[in-house]
Amino acid sequence: MDVFGSFALVLAFICAVYAFGGGIAAIITRHPLLVKSTRQAGMAACCLIFLATFSLEYLFFSDNFSIAYVVAHSNRDLASFYKIAALWAGQEGSLLFWSFLLAIYVFSVLVTYRNKNGELMPYVGVVMAGVQIFFLTLNNFVASPFKLLASPGADGALHYVARADGNGLTPLLQYPEMVIHPPNLYSGYTGFTIPFAFALGALLARYPGEKWIHLTRKWTMIAWMFQSMGILLGAHWAYAVLGWGGYWGWDPVENASFLPWLTGTAFLHSVMMQEKRGMMKVWNVWLVFITFLLCILGTFLTRSGVVSSVHAFAQSSIGTWFVCFISLVILVCFAAYVKNRDYLKSENQLDSIVSRESSFLFNNLLLLVFTVAVLTGTLFPVFSEWITGNRISVGAPFFNKVTIPVGLLLLFLTGVGPLLAWRKTSTESLKRNFGWPMAIGLVAGIVALVFGFRQFYSWVALILCVFVASTVLLEFFRGAKVIRSRSGASLVASAVDLTMRNTRRYGGYIVHMGMVFVFIGLAGAAFNRDTQKDMRQGDTLRIGAYTLVLQGFETKPEKNYTAQRLLVEVLQDNKPTMMLYPEKRKFSTTEENGTMVAIRSTLQEDLYVVFAGMSPDTQLPVVHAYLNPLVKWLWFGGVVVVFGTLVAMLPNRRAVLVLSGVQSAVVQPVTQGLPSSVTLREGHD
Amino acid sequence: MTKAHPIAAIALTALFASVPLLITPAGAEQFSERTKQVGSKIKCMCRGCDMPAATCSHPGGAFSGPCETAKMMLGEVDQHVAKGETDEQILQAFAQQYGSLVYADPPKSGFSLVAWVLPSVYLFVGAGVVILVIVRWRKRPAHEIGPTGGSAGISAELLERARAQASRETQD
Repeated sequence: MDVFGSFALVLAFICAVYAFGGGIAAIITRHPLLVKSTRQAGMAACCLIFLATFSLEYLFFSDNFSIAYVVAHSNRDLASFYKIAALWAGQEGSLLFWSFLLAIYVFSVLVTYRNKNGELMPYVGVVMAGVQIFFLTLNNFVASPFKLLASPGADGALHYVARADGNGLTPLLQYPEMVIHPPNLYSGYTGFTIPFAFALGALLARYPGEKWIHLTRKWTMIAWMFQSMGILLGAHWAYAVLGWGGYWGWDPVENASFLPWLTGTAFLHSVMMQEKRGMMKVWNVWLVFITFLLCILGTFLTRSGVVSSVHAFAQSSIGTWFVCFISLVILVCFAAYVKNRDYLKSENQLDSIVSRESSFLFNNLLLLVFTVAVLTGTLFPVFSEWITGNRISVGAPFFNKVTIPVGLLLLFLTGVGPLLAWRKTSTESLKRNFGWPMAIGLVAGIVALVFGFRQFYSWVALILCVFVASTVLLEFFRGAKVIRSRSGASLVASAVDLTMRNTRRYGGYIVHMGMVFVFIGLAGAAFNRDTQKDMRQGDTLRIGAYTLVLQGFETKPEKNYTAQRLLVEVLQDNKPTMMLYPEKRKFSTTEENGTMVAIRSTLQEDLYVVFAGMSPDTQLPVVHAYLNPLVKWLWFGGVVVVFGTLVAMLPNRRAVLVLSGVQSAVVQPVTQGLPSSVTLREGHD
Repeated sequence: MTKAHPIAAIALTALFASVPLLITPAGAEQFSERTKQVGSKIKCMCRGCDMPAATCSHPGGAFSGPCETAKMMLGEVDQHVAKGETDEQILQAFAQQYGSLVYADPPKSGFSLVAWVLPSVYLFVGAGVVILVIVRWRKRPAHEIGPTGGSAGISAELLERARAQASRETQD
């Protein structure tokens, strides 16, 4: 099966090279047979990558310990569930996994547009094949996951050997979220290849901007949604496994995943400027280029070890390849832009500073400042070492100080932007749309002060969260009220109806609401506290309204590890509430340790209990308890963001279908009766 | 403003005003605030966790922190605090012992200052560019705007032809 996998990868490389070279020839000659054959070669490359990936998984499941990669990342006792995750546990496998996910996207695109967009698709196919060739080069010639295990014999020569058992999977990865977090994040990284390919393809084909945007909207949203889920799942993994009480440490690899998300978010907003007003065409093309480059940079940072990270299990010296590829992509993008930039001319002028257009400009400015600030902090240790010879660390406090004000400004724009009209917003409209939300936000701020809220940024975040949530809810309320007055349906049914008539607009509002919840969760971090104690059986530890009583300690041998478990009774206001079982795990093959945190999570706060291990001083179990307010809002916000994105991807339901049985004469007043800020038309707001 | 708005507003106010009630005020903590504060500015130098000494939890270690190195460093901070030294003096002492890598954050002096200054530069330069773009867009005469205006490189006809071609060759 290892030979099969290697062979499939080599064939995939050959097919991708043909798709690339043949694609260029097809663009030049316009020969239909060549166009068809290169498309089919692209699809064949994808199928071969699928086969190679499945064959590696088969090697894991069949415990084939003659393969070096399987030996390094699996063992016989490893649960089947984690044998799937072992695929991306190391560099070779995760690069194959990159190719695998990219192949899914490429195959889907080639199948979806096989009979459409005949002139544009060869360009798109060439770009996609170019990216695939890079990763297949790594898979075949730099970091093959199918290398046989070799060991020097008595004669000094290398001999192929097979081990009885493998080293096992890194304990940090033996957690259910690690089976879904990397696929999500990688799906985000790889997914941005599609809008990149269409943007570059359209630019090379000298299309004046707008078509690639329409074609790739859903692909971009899918990639963005996966990136969002990947980031949040990673944060949750860090929270539940690393045992430090936090979920985001501004680790370089975390930052690397966040950067394309920021520019992708900027793109999803600025793209509306192009669709509605024919503006920012150059900017949108470059935003997609930058997002793709940041995806490659993210993979480079994760794989190269150029910056130290908690994800150190994945490091290697593969960086040079990535630097070359990034340089090549920049060169190609720049050359394509310089050659064809005249086709990206803006079609409109700005009518007023107080307009949706301006809000998008500032939204993009803030997201880009956020991006370059995080990028600067992430790479500053490397730059400082190059320039001064001293490596200067940049930690979480720096990122917090720099990004929190920008984040709050973005939150403010989240509330303001959607309520501003295109072209020009009147003073009357401003008063109508912002009067109540601002008043509600300020009242919430005053109430917070009265109740002792003294953290400035959290206080501002609270006011802004209330303001933004009010604007979103009022938008739904106003639109739904009009529909209810015409249809007689309930307010909730009318709100659903409203959403389905303009899924993009109201799906976007749901995403904004999700972001409000995320900010509420983040604001709670200012009030985190913790305490730690060496505990004997029966000892108590107080934190907030909780009293923790150590009821016992047990050792539980499992198949792949031995768990040391504390039995902790939780009393809330001195009333027994529940039992928590924080664990420390010792993995038999690697002798490494893992932590399983026990969390009592409510909307108000998380009681987060860690069994830190046996105290080196007293040899007693050490319990480290944290009280983290509002964390659950963060995860809930993530779910709402994903839900909103899915809604935004649905096709609009036409009003006439909703009011089936009621003739068009009825439909007309529905639209007429809406406030100026509410539109029910087909299209993109 | 319709009748329903005040009711909705009151309901929203009550809902959101209750958010602060969910947060309990901070209480006593195990370490002195001063030690934790200074400890959060220096990195645990065990080279295994890359976390600030005050919050070292040493993921993957047999003991989930603070590890021995972090504890030792926090102990040193305590000694410096007992001597009445300022935060700056304490950080200097650690920098002499471990080098610039000990700082959790870049110090606001020398080359490190660049890291602190750059985000503000990005913001101001970016805001300047956005304002410039807005001013240019507002002043732009109608005849300069595509598709009728074209540009220095290509004619309006060519641009229009490219647009028609793109429409013809693609389907959403």
